[in-house]
Amino acid sequence: MQELIEYIAKNLVDAPDDVKVTEDKQRGRTVIHLEVGADDYGRVIGRNGRIAQSMRALLKVSAVRHREYASLEIGE
Amino acid sequence: MAGVEASGKTVEEAIENALDELGAERDEVEIEVLEEPKKGRLGIGGHDARVKVRLIGDEDDDDEPAPGNRADPVVHDDDDDDDQDEEDVEREVKLDDDGNPIEDEAEVAAQMLDQLLVLMGIEGDVSIRDAETPGDGLGMAKAVLEVEGDDLGVLIGRRGETLGSLQYLLNLMVTRKLGDGNYFTVDIEGYRRRREQQLSTLATRTAETVKRTKRPTTLEPMPPNERRIIHLTLSEDRYVETDSVGEGEERRVSISPKRSAMRE
Repeated sequence: MQELIEYIAKNLVDAPDDVKVTEDKQRGRTVIHLEVGADDYGRVIGRNGRIAQSMRALLKVSAVRHREYASLEIGE
Repeated sequence: MAGVEASGKTVEEAIENALDELGAERDEVEIEVLEEPKKGRLGIGGHDARVKVRLIGDEDDDDEPAPGNRADPVVHDDDDDDDQDEEDVEREVKLDDDGNPIEDEAEVAAQMLDQLLVLMGIEGDVSIRDAETPGDGLGMAKAVLEVEGDDLGVLIGRRGETLGSLQYLLNLMVTRKLGDGNYFTVDIEGYRRRREQQLSTLATRTAETVKRTKRPTTLEPMPPNERRIIHLTLSEDRYVETDSVGEGEERRVSISPKRSAMRE
């Protein structure tokens, strides 16, 4: 699931090398944490958060497939 | 490509009208206000707002040249011996009108989609076909990327929302890679096809009722691409006309008796 978010983010930002994705598992819940270069947050959040929302929708599909519960946090 | 001009009483209304015509969401377009609305005196001299709306996959990097256009034209070296190791298989390079090589954009998009599916843990095959109907995004989409597999309902989601997210993200990614004008429709197990059938049947039946009762009817709220199908289905109808009312998520199509037809 981490790889999914990483793949999407790297293909959206100006600075793919600055994309950092970490995964934190707590009691069956997976929290994916996404950080990008300071100028790139707009590219992974989008107007009214639409890009972030879309990433969450795909993450949810992935989580269902892996029989897990996952959420996505963006920012430092 | 795929730019439309529309007008309305306010700039907002003009934009909504243009989005309806494109069947696109606001994030997927670039908007240019051609004319602010002007109120005339005693109904004379005023005019509506006019906007130009263009489909893009990305919001704010219009000035960045597409990598595909940046590549130098392939120069064929007569001296074959030197570069035999580099590339034995000579790929056929298609050239555009200006003689620049064209990457097969649909192929690139299909590979990205395939990679997304793999990373989501979904087994599906991606194939490429031409857009043939309004539901395929005919006139806007370069191609349809069709996903076939088992049990892909989860990827479609309620009212096709997850499919919408997938298509939206894919187009953003593809645009980043290939530049503007590369818009693709994603379909999953023929969902959009079936939905298009349902919608055009719904449109035709509702139009029949409107004709019979001579009363306008408003349909359920629908996303832009679905409203576009209703509009297009009834665009040639002599007896009814369609319009979109409401904002955002609540925007719906209304079907009413055509005024000119009523006079006949």
